[in-house]
Amino acid sequence: MKLRHTLMASAAVIAASAASTSANADTELTFVWHAGTCADALVEIAKDYPDKSVTIVPALVPYGPEWHNKIASEFAIQGDAFDFAMWDSQSTAEFAGGGHAVKINDIFADSDYLSAEIFPASSLSQYGEYPDGSGEFYGLPANQDAYGLMYRKDLFEDPDEQVAFKEKYGRDLRVPETYQEAKEVAEFFTRPDEGLYGWGQMGGREYDFATTASNSFLWSFGGELYNPETFEVQGYLNSPASIDGVQAYVDMFQFGPPGSGNWGFDEVNAAFQQGQLAMAMQWFYFNGSNADPEVNKFAKDTGFGILPGAVGRDGKFRRQFSVGGQGMGINKYSEKLPELVKFMEWYFQPEQQERYAAVCQTGLKAVLDSPDWQGLNSYNAQFSKALQYLNDYWHLPEYPVLLDQLQEEVSNAVSGSKTVEQALTDAAKKHERTLQRAGHEIKRSDSTPEVPDQEIAPVGMDDVVPVNN
Amino acid sequence: MSMQTTDAAATMRATGKPAKKKSSGRLMILGFLSPTLLILIFMVAYPIFSLVFYSFHNFSALRPNAGMTPAGFDNYSYLLSDPDLWQRFVFTGKFVFLCVSLQMIIGIFVGYQLQKSFRGRDVIFTLLMMPMMLSPVVVGFLWRYMLNSEWGIVNYMLTLVGLGKVDWLGQTDAALWAAAAADTWMWTPFIILLATAAFRGIPETIYEAAEVDGASQAYVFFRITLPMSAPVLFIALILRLIDSFKQYDLFFALTGGGPGSSTETVSFAVAKTAFNYFYTGEASALAVILLCIIIGLSLILVRHLMKLGERY
Repeated sequence: MKLRHTLMASAAVIAASAASTSANADTELTFVWHAGTCADALVEIAKDYPDKSVTIVPALVPYGPEWHNKIASEFAIQGDAFDFAMWDSQSTAEFAGGGHAVKINDIFADSDYLSAEIFPASSLSQYGEYPDGSGEFYGLPANQDAYGLMYRKDLFEDPDEQVAFKEKYGRDLRVPETYQEAKEVAEFFTRPDEGLYGWGQMGGREYDFATTASNSFLWSFGGELYNPETFEVQGYLNSPASIDGVQAYVDMFQFGPPGSGNWGFDEVNAAFQQGQLAMAMQWFYFNGSNADPEVNKFAKDTGFGILPGAVGRDGKFRRQFSVGGQGMGINKYSEKLPELVKFMEWYFQPEQQERYAAVCQTGLKAVLDSPDWQGLNSYNAQFSKALQYLNDYWHLPEYPVLLDQLQEEVSNAVSGSKTVEQALTDAAKKHERTLQRAGHEIKRSDSTPEVPDQEIAPVGMDDVVPVNN
Repeated sequence: MSMQTTDAAATMRATGKPAKKKSSGRLMILGFLSPTLLILIFMVAYPIFSLVFYSFHNFSALRPNAGMTPAGFDNYSYLLSDPDLWQRFVFTGKFVFLCVSLQMIIGIFVGYQLQKSFRGRDVIFTLLMMPMMLSPVVVGFLWRYMLNSEWGIVNYMLTLVGLGKVDWLGQTDAALWAAAAADTWMWTPFIILLATAAFRGIPETIYEAAEVDGASQAYVFFRITLPMSAPVLFIALILRLIDSFKQYDLFFALTGGGPGSSTETVSFAVAKTAFNYFYTGEASALAVILLCIIIGLSLILVRHLMKLGERY
């Protein structure tokens, strides 16, 4: 009898809890991103989503290949372990090309709020368009980013340093506008005996560490990764201008701490926050923490600027650097698209994006155009200028292979196991082999330009355009 | 017993039923074996068959809409004509030789010391086993921080004794030694464990006889201890060889394969081709090549092990 009562009571409890679960009908929208300030910001904002039956669940991984591979592996099995993901701009080609991402145009067509017009056209294109120029979008500019420069204002504004610099170089000490200037300033501040070095930058073999940095030099000196019309890589990636750029990048390691050729962004941040660096190339993404006195003891003396450009061998000035950040893409295999679209309609409202913009870089036009946005922190004003100088990798489905091959060869140049020319020539040969295997026909030209930028989307200017001073 | 068997045999001859009994015995054996066989077929045979099948096709798991086309030996010829792959085999060979040599020498030496009785031996033994219990990725990151050229503890200690800092992970040769050091730190305990067990298994009477005969310590070690524990040590060697040959996760965390591709093992290349490039066909072909090498290597070593077993 006692057993019977116990069983009945248990059954009642189970039935009640099942009914309760059914009544709540909670929906979990899982997203994949790399762990960090911006993912935390999204989670915090999502807590205020009015529809309490929907929960945003982060599935965060470290920045790097695991992040890409987690998304790609799920797509490979056509699984729905996540509903949306933030992926690198250049991954759009791979994921959309593979047929795994939801076409955002369809959402624009059905939504009362979401439309192409609420994002800057260039941002929407950079983070979501595939193929380039097609008007088909597979991602929204959820987290914009750009390579930037951070520097120690106290050193640059020190009258003694200014006098010493002028004596040595015959010009005023200022935040560099060109890599030629940056080299002198970095050399000036390189004082190993005092534990101070002039320049910090990434050079690590992992993921895109070395190439996002080296490409910024390569493009600024007038180089190009390939010719998108003919698919020629030889003669472009190893053109004289490209070699100039990557050589300038490799040379800058002599003004960094020993072993910095193996650095990722963590090491750049750590060295800068410890006062080891006068200047550092770093993503705007990290400025939130680098401007925080609890993280960076030099926060109040840290200035945020725009990366230098370069005067190329053709005498033209160019300022081009790597686009960062991620677009928000939707998993085609998710069965929660209606709930997700509703969440996106709420999340991309100016109110939410203003909160996001306080720590990270939004892609919402209304916020970017707002007069308050530039004053939200100490770096948004510079970021708004940086957006016009962005360039990106290949927007091709073969991107992960091309990236890894370029990483390998640039890393060879950084470690000194190959000359820059040899490394870029080897990378160009590997790239052409990869493109040919993928079915791209390489139309070989009679000659290739010394400065490829003159042929492909030219941006060269006659004079240096200062933006940091 | 023999009487019963004879009776049973006679009955079988008379009734003509021996074949049935034999077949029911076989059925019983099959019945007992079938769960294991099914698991083996599902877990081993099917993946290997798929691997070989994919290796003869152009296929990407990430681009299923591109389809799967027969490629014959294209994947194999592409890989075997790629000089970078041979470079990875050479590096893997260097790494395996360096790691396994260091681990065997240090492991046997320490294991020999630990077979002796002394106070605190068990505590030391337990502490020595700890690195082996960590994940290779954790070990990779741990050593990565320790070997950081600017603020790592290894360079700090070098500067304390007046030596210069070394860019451990940024230079090709140094990176090989760094990876070998991390792997040796992690896996020498495994050799110590097996060596100690083998040494302790040698009967004490043999040592007493050697002592009576006036054998030196070195003679005892090289002529008694080592030969008598050779089968166990050989098993340890085989396991470490195979495991080092497959090393991937340590490099993933420690060097990322760099600088350049100088610390990319063959397994690293397989993982990269399969899960970064998503060239499923090419990765399968590379995995088949690696599998053949490991099986070949294992067969040779197991054959030697059998001979050793017969001798001791």
